[in-house]
Amino acid sequence: MAGEENSPGSSMHGVTGKEQTFAFSVASDPTIPTDSTAKFALPVDSEHKSKVFKILSFANPHMRTFHLSWISFFTCFVSTFAAAPLVPIIRDDLNLTKTDIGNAGIASVSGSIFSRLVMGAACDLLGPRYACAFLIMLSAPTVFCMSFVSSAGGYIVVRFMIGFSLATFVSCQYWMSTMFNSRIIGLVNGTAAGWGNMGGGATQLLMPVLYELIRRAGATPFTAWRIAFFIPGWLHVIMGLLVLGLGQDLPDGNLSTLQKKGDVPKDQFSKVLWYAITNYRTWIFVLLYGMSLGVELTTDNVIAGYFFDRFDLKLHTAGTIAATFGMANIVSRPFGGLMSDIAARRFGMRGRLWNLWILQTAGGIFCICLGRANTLPLSITSMILFSIGAQAACGATFGIIPFLSRRSLGVISGLTGAGGNFGSGLTQLLFFTSSNYSTATGLSLMGIMIVACTIPVTLVHFPQWGSMFLPPSKDASKFNEESYYGSEWNEEEKEKGLHHGSLKFAENSRSERGRRVLSVSTPPNSTNSMCV
Amino acid sequence: MAAALLLVSSILFSCLAASCHGVTLSSLQKTLIVFVTASPSPGQVLKAGEDSITLTWSFNNSFPARTDSAYKTVQVKLCFAPISQQDRAWRKTEDNLVKDKTCQYKIVAKPYSPSNNTFSWTVQRDVPTGTYFVRAYAYNSADEEVAYGQTTDAHKTNNLFQVKAISGRHVSLDIASICFSSFSIVSLFGFFFLEKRRAKHSQEN
Repeated sequence: MAGEENSPGSSMHGVTGKEQTFAFSVASDPTIPTDSTAKFALPVDSEHKSKVFKILSFANPHMRTFHLSWISFFTCFVSTFAAAPLVPIIRDDLNLTKTDIGNAGIASVSGSIFSRLVMGAACDLLGPRYACAFLIMLSAPTVFCMSFVSSAGGYIVVRFMIGFSLATFVSCQYWMSTMFNSRIIGLVNGTAAGWGNMGGGATQLLMPVLYELIRRAGATPFTAWRIAFFIPGWLHVIMGLLVLGLGQDLPDGNLSTLQKKGDVPKDQFSKVLWYAITNYRTWIFVLLYGMSLGVELTTDNVIAGYFFDRFDLKLHTAGTIAATFGMANIVSRPFGGLMSDIAARRFGMRGRLWNLWILQTAGGIFCICLGRANTLPLSITSMILFSIGAQAACGATFGIIPFLSRRSLGVISGLTGAGGNFGSGLTQLLFFTSSNYSTATGLSLMGIMIVACTIPVTLVHFPQWGSMFLPPSKDASKFNEESYYGSEWNEEEKEKGLHHGSLKFAENSRSERGRRVLSVSTPPNSTNSMCV
Repeated sequence: MAAALLLVSSILFSCLAASCHGVTLSSLQKTLIVFVTASPSPGQVLKAGEDSITLTWSFNNSFPARTDSAYKTVQVKLCFAPISQQDRAWRKTEDNLVKDKTCQYKIVAKPYSPSNNTFSWTVQRDVPTGTYFVRAYAYNSADEEVAYGQTTDAHKTNNLFQVKAISGRHVSLDIASICFSSFSIVSLFGFFFLEKRRAKHSQEN
């Protein structure tokens, strides 16, 4: 996949749809031959992508890329949510109202809706190394700009600009896909995404501590918070330089090699977009991801201030508690994906859908509890359970997305990601901007919205696999994996053989039938066309 | 479900516990008279960290003579006027004084004496921009509020004064910010063009 030059948005980089999405290693998988002539620290396949995911290694280039990539993404999360735990100080300095604070929170997550869409194209054109470095180093000035802010309007604008940096999610996932074999890319991407999201938690811990230290060193409160912002800014610059100096686009070198290959047929962006938009499941998942990632981002923005105001805690105590929300990502997001895979082994796609519904609804219920808890221990317990539910639901969502479509997978993933940010903006607008009700009430209402908006997952139906309440179609010869993925290509395209990738994927996806897969025989027409 | 029962019972218990204590403002007598004179002149916006206000407070002699027998200490606080509380739930006025957030800045605490109390206070540097009044609470030996007085009327509409906070911005910070931002942009493009030139050279060779 290293050489394709598809039009922007149709790139398959960073997404996957093979079975066994959470395997640690396919080193001993006989269907993926190891290239023994290559001199890398890890076993590689024919494209020199690593077949093994060794978390604690820094081997060049594969594991080094993994660490550069997730730490860059982590840094952008730190700077985007750096203002949140300092809001009690900032609101006095800039004379902010609750409306201003709410608008700033919405602004911080809105910027990346657009930047994530552009980033895919940037990765295709410049390569992930430069795309990541450009974004992270050009957003460093926006972080330093916090020292100039003196009004509500300035504050909102700066938070909006810093929010653009969240597009490093795309470069992170894209870069992983150039370095790791597609059979293990699910786990690699899930871990990178989860550890990056942790930045939203780490910042709640880091910023109050920095603020305290700077204040004790002699600065007034209204200056100390501005100085504290220099640290995320420096992190941006340092990570940008490390990415430029130590990173490389491909296992074999940099972008110039990418442009010499080109053996994958080009797809039409308009067609890819059409099949993404007209698939009703896409929109259900856009809504669902808004209720898992979206509420996670919203909570990153409001939770520290909530604990500070409601329980009269010190700033760094509130920050520490709020940090546990985001830090849970280190295990809960991969956990969600793992649960999805385990459910799929027995129950197939139906298991994955039930798993997602259970995790996300549980998250919603604990969010309601969080809003209603009157004591600190109860509140913290609810928050932790809420975080596990919501973040595991994020991981579980991306255990299902790869199966929605083969042709339009890139666009669907992008739309889902944008839906997450949109959900965050929407929940902040509805529940945390007006003064008509308190933050606690806002949290409870958000929990009710999560439970209600997760119900549409019951409507997701695959003819070949069924849905939560309906079994798969009895007519297996008419409604099977091949017909589902083949339906994205018209006759003309099928005659040209453009749909072969989809057919291959369809065969691999038969594992989504669950235990019944052993009794299914391959439909005759699919194997014939592949022999051509 | 034992866990659910435990959850419910602890919620109930904490609700009860919260309502057991807490003096309310409406239960206190307004027996103190508090005056504030801003310097240099009244009506001027005070600058935090620079300007000062002079406060005097005394016992209101129109109340019966022995009313102040329990008063031991007096605390004078800076409080937000309603206009500065609008759309800011973290400064909300509650009758229960434990939950009340109207008066967040302590000016001074002194032992109680019925008259001749004055204090000159320079507005602290962390006081935010807003409209304020001053309130004094009298405490008994158990440190509970027993009386109060304030510079404004019951509806908090007259005798309010304004404070302008310090900026928090500094020229040195602005310069440092510009320096680091330029470094970031220059090193990025420098790296980019250098690598492009090196690639061109190696292609030509």
